[in-house]
Amino acid sequence: MTDSRPLPLTPRIEPDTQSVLAEEALLRQLVDGLGSPLNVVLPDALAANVEAFRAVYRHHRLRGRIYFAHKANRSAALLRRLAAAEVAVDVASLEELQHALGAGFTPDRIIATGPKNREFLWLAARTGVIVSADSPDELDELAALGRAPVRVMVRLSGFVSPGVQMISRRSRFGVPSEQLTEALDRVEKHAGRLELVGIAYHLDTIGIPEKAIALEGCLTALDECRRRGLPVWSIDIGGGFGVNYLADGEQWERWTSELARAVLGHRPPLTWNEHGYGLRNEAGTLRGALGLYPAFRPVSGAGYLDQLLSTVAPAQRRPLGELLLDSMADLDIEPGRALLDQCGLVLARVLEVRSEGPDTLVRLEANARDVSLEEHGVLMDPVLIPHRSDEPTEVFLLGNLCLESDLITRRRVTLPARPRPGDLLAFVNTAGYFMDFSASRALHQPIARKVAVHRAGERWSWCLDEHYWPVPEREEAA
Amino acid sequence: MRFDDMTEAIGNTPLVRIDPAVHGLRQIDLYAKMELLNPFGSLKDRAALQMVRPLLAGAAERGDTVVELSSGNTAKALAMIAGMHGVPFKSVTNRMKVPEIKDLLLLLGAEIDELPGQAECLDPTDTEDPLSRMHRTLSANGSGYVHTDQYFNEQNVEAHLHGTGPEIVKDLDGRAPDFFFACVGTAGSSTGVARALRQHDPDVRVVGLVAAKSDFIPGIRTIDEVHEVGLFDPGVYDTVDTITSDDAVDGLLTLVRRCGTPAGPTGGGAFQGAVRHLRALDPTLTSRKTAVFIVCDRVESYLSYLRERRPALFGRPPRRNDTRDLAADEIAAAPTVDVEEAARWPGLIVDLRNPHAYQALHIDGSINIVDELFAEMLHGGLPFGRRQPVLLVCPVGEKSARYAALLTRMGHPAVRSLAGGIIAWRDAGARLVRD
Repeated sequence: MTDSRPLPLTPRIEPDTQSVLAEEALLRQLVDGLGSPLNVVLPDALAANVEAFRAVYRHHRLRGRIYFAHKANRSAALLRRLAAAEVAVDVASLEELQHALGAGFTPDRIIATGPKNREFLWLAARTGVIVSADSPDELDELAALGRAPVRVMVRLSGFVSPGVQMISRRSRFGVPSEQLTEALDRVEKHAGRLELVGIAYHLDTIGIPEKAIALEGCLTALDECRRRGLPVWSIDIGGGFGVNYLADGEQWERWTSELARAVLGHRPPLTWNEHGYGLRNEAGTLRGALGLYPAFRPVSGAGYLDQLLSTVAPAQRRPLGELLLDSMADLDIEPGRALLDQCGLVLARVLEVRSEGPDTLVRLEANARDVSLEEHGVLMDPVLIPHRSDEPTEVFLLGNLCLESDLITRRRVTLPARPRPGDLLAFVNTAGYFMDFSASRALHQPIARKVAVHRAGERWSWCLDEHYWPVPEREEAA
Repeated sequence: MRFDDMTEAIGNTPLVRIDPAVHGLRQIDLYAKMELLNPFGSLKDRAALQMVRPLLAGAAERGDTVVELSSGNTAKALAMIAGMHGVPFKSVTNRMKVPEIKDLLLLLGAEIDELPGQAECLDPTDTEDPLSRMHRTLSANGSGYVHTDQYFNEQNVEAHLHGTGPEIVKDLDGRAPDFFFACVGTAGSSTGVARALRQHDPDVRVVGLVAAKSDFIPGIRTIDEVHEVGLFDPGVYDTVDTITSDDAVDGLLTLVRRCGTPAGPTGGGAFQGAVRHLRALDPTLTSRKTAVFIVCDRVESYLSYLRERRPALFGRPPRRNDTRDLAADEIAAAPTVDVEEAARWPGLIVDLRNPHAYQALHIDGSINIVDELFAEMLHGGLPFGRRQPVLLVCPVGEKSARYAALLTRMGHPAVRSLAGGIIAWRDAGARLVRD
C-alpha cells in the first residue's frame, strides 16, 4: 500500500507571524531593497514567551532568573527588547558580553557561561557579572582578575542516580559532581575574592529523567554548600526546553513512518539520494536512530519546565519544584530557542525552478547555512509568497553555493503551488539557532541583513535590526 | 507434578474458552492461551529459557553477566533464571516506563542501565545512536557479557514454534484455529506460533496487533518500531491491526472483571483487538470457527500504568480532615503571624518542608514534620493539645496557611501560619541554624 499523497510538514504559525506573512508587498520590497536572504525578527513576540515561563514560576511559587541564551540569535533588536523586560541574559563569548552590556543589561542581569578566554573572564570579572565556572582552574583565574569579589556559580556534570544507572552522553563542560568538594575548597581558598551564589548544570538532552537526576544532584550540592556555611541560594538548570515546530502531529507521524518505509525500500524515496536521516536498512531490518529533532512536541518550552518541576525526584521522592522551594532555592533557567519561539523568519528569493525526471528542483538565493534547519535536524515546510494554492507541489530546495551538499532541504518539501522565479519563500520560526548561527561568507555570498518589524497601528513597520531600540513613542502633537 | 527446578514449570499453559456472553460472537469460539500462568509470570519465560540455556554454563565459568535489551518480562525471566545459576543479569533499556517493573527487577537483583534521551541541540553527523554503540560493546569478545539478543535471536521464535504453537493445536484436538491474534513485541511469539499453526493448516489467518504510533502499551511495539525488530517479517501476518492504550485497558478490564483472568495490558489489547476484528466477520460466517489470542502476562505490575490512564478506577472514599475540603475563604482567613512575631513565638514550631531542606537550614527550636506526613496525622485527629500554641512554617506560607485553616476548623484555637514562609524569614535577615 504505497501512500502517494503529498507529505507536508506544516509549520505552527501564530497570529503575529501570520499577519507579517500577509504583508506581501512589504516583504517583497524589503527583499528587493536589502537582498536575499533576509532575516526578519519580531521583538514584540518575545513577551508571550517570557510570560509563559513566568506563569510556571508563579504556579510553583518559585523565584529566580530567566537568562536568555544569547547564542540562539545575534539580533540586537531581540536583545534590547529583552533588556526592557523581566529577563536576564546568558552570554557565552567576549563579544556577546559586550553586546549585552551595550543593549542595556546591567551586570547583575548577566551570566557568563561556556568556554571562556582570558579577555572574556577579565571583562566579566571587571564588570561584576556572574560567572558560571566550568572548572576549578577557572575559579583560580577569576580570583586573580576581579576588583570586588566575583560572583560565581559552579557548573556540575556527571551526576549519578540511585538504583538504576542512567547513562548520559559525555559532556565536555562542567566539574564532575564527585569533584564538588575540590571546587568548593577552591572557592573557600579564595574567600573574599570569590562569592559562590549558585550551583548549575546543563544537559543536552530532551529526557526529563536525566534532568531530574541532575537537579536533585544540585540540591545535594546546595546542602553541601550550606554544611560549609556558604550562603548559596540559586540553582541554574540551563536550557533545553524545546519548541514545538509543527502544527499537526499526524503529519509528523505520517512523514516519519513513510521515511522508515522508504529506507526499507517499501516505497519510493522521500529524500535526496535516498538520505535516511540516520536510519539505514540492514538486511530488511531498520537500524540506526532517527537523527531528527522531534519537530512536533506538544510539551515544550514553559510546559516542559512545568513537567520537570512536577517530576518526583528519584531519591527524595518529592516533586522537584517543592524540593527547590523547601530549600529556599531560586531557580535560574537559560532558555534560548524556547524564548525565541515565533520571533523571526528568513526570507529567500526563488531563482530557478526546473523539472528533472519526477523531481522539481527549486534554487534559492540563499544557502543551507542561511537557513540551517537541516543542520539542526528540524523539518518544516516553508511558506510561499505570494500566497497561491492551485497545485500542491513537492520540491527539493537547492542553495546558492557551488557545492553538491548545499541543499536547504534534503527532503521534498510541500508547497501549495508550483513556485515561480521571483517568488519568495518564508522559513518561519527560525529565530532560535537557524537564522545566523551558522551563516558564513563562503564564496563571498552575502550574509543576510536583519530587520526588526513592529506593529504601527494596523500596519507593520520596520527598521534595520541595529537601529531598533525599545524606546516608547514620544507623544507628539498631531 | 514434581519438578527439580522452577524452569520445568514453564510452558503447558491451559487454553481457556471465553464465555460467549462476554464477547457476543455467535459463530466463533474464542480461546485464550493463558501464558500468564508461566512461573515467572509471562509468555517471555519460554523464550528467555530457550535463549539463555545454552549460554549459562559458559557465562558461569567466565564470570560473565547476561545482558538483554528489555524493559519488562524478558528481563524478569532472565534475571530469575540467571540468578538460579549464580550468574548476574543486566537490563539495558530506554523504554522502562512502568515503575513497578523497574522496582521488581531491582528486587530480583538485576542491574538496570537506562539509555539517554535525544540531544536537544542535535548533531546530525553523529549517526551513532546509543543503542548501536551498546550493541557493539556487548558483542565484543571478552566484554564480560553474554547477550541473549531477543529481537534478533531465532531461539526466541523456536521456543514458540516447538512449545506454544503445538500446545494450541493439541488442545484444539489436533486442529489449528481459524484465526490467531498476537501482539507484536519482539515478534518471537507471533512468528513462532504462526509458523507452527500453518504447518498444520496453511489457511490460518494471523493478525498482528501493534500500538498506535504516539501511544504506549507496555510490551507492544508501534507500527514504526516493529521495523527495528530483526525477527519481524511482515509476511507472517495476514493483517496488522492497530490498537490503542484505551483498547488495551478496556480489554484488560473485561478479562479481569468478567473472565477470571488477571491479564496485563498486552492480554487486554489482544482480547480487544481480537473481538473487534472478529465482530466484523461474525455476521458473514456460515460455519463455526475458532480463534485464539494470547494472554501474555499479569495485571499486578501495571497498577501505576492503569492509575495514570484511568484514575477513576482507583477512586477512594474521601478522608476526614483533608485540606482539599477547605473553602477558599477559610484558607484566606487562616490566622498568620509575621516574622517579627514569629521570632518571639512561645510555643511549638512545626516546619513542614522536606527533611533535607530542614536539616540544611531551619528556625532554631522548630521540629520537622514533612507536609505529607502531617496530612496523614491530621486524618486521625489533632496531634497536639488545644492549649499548645503551634506555629506552622513552609516555604512561602501557602501550605502552612492551609494547615492552619484546617487545624482551626478542627477546633485548635492557637495555631498560626508564618506569613511568607521561611523565605520571608530569610529575606528579613532572621536567624537560620543547622545542627
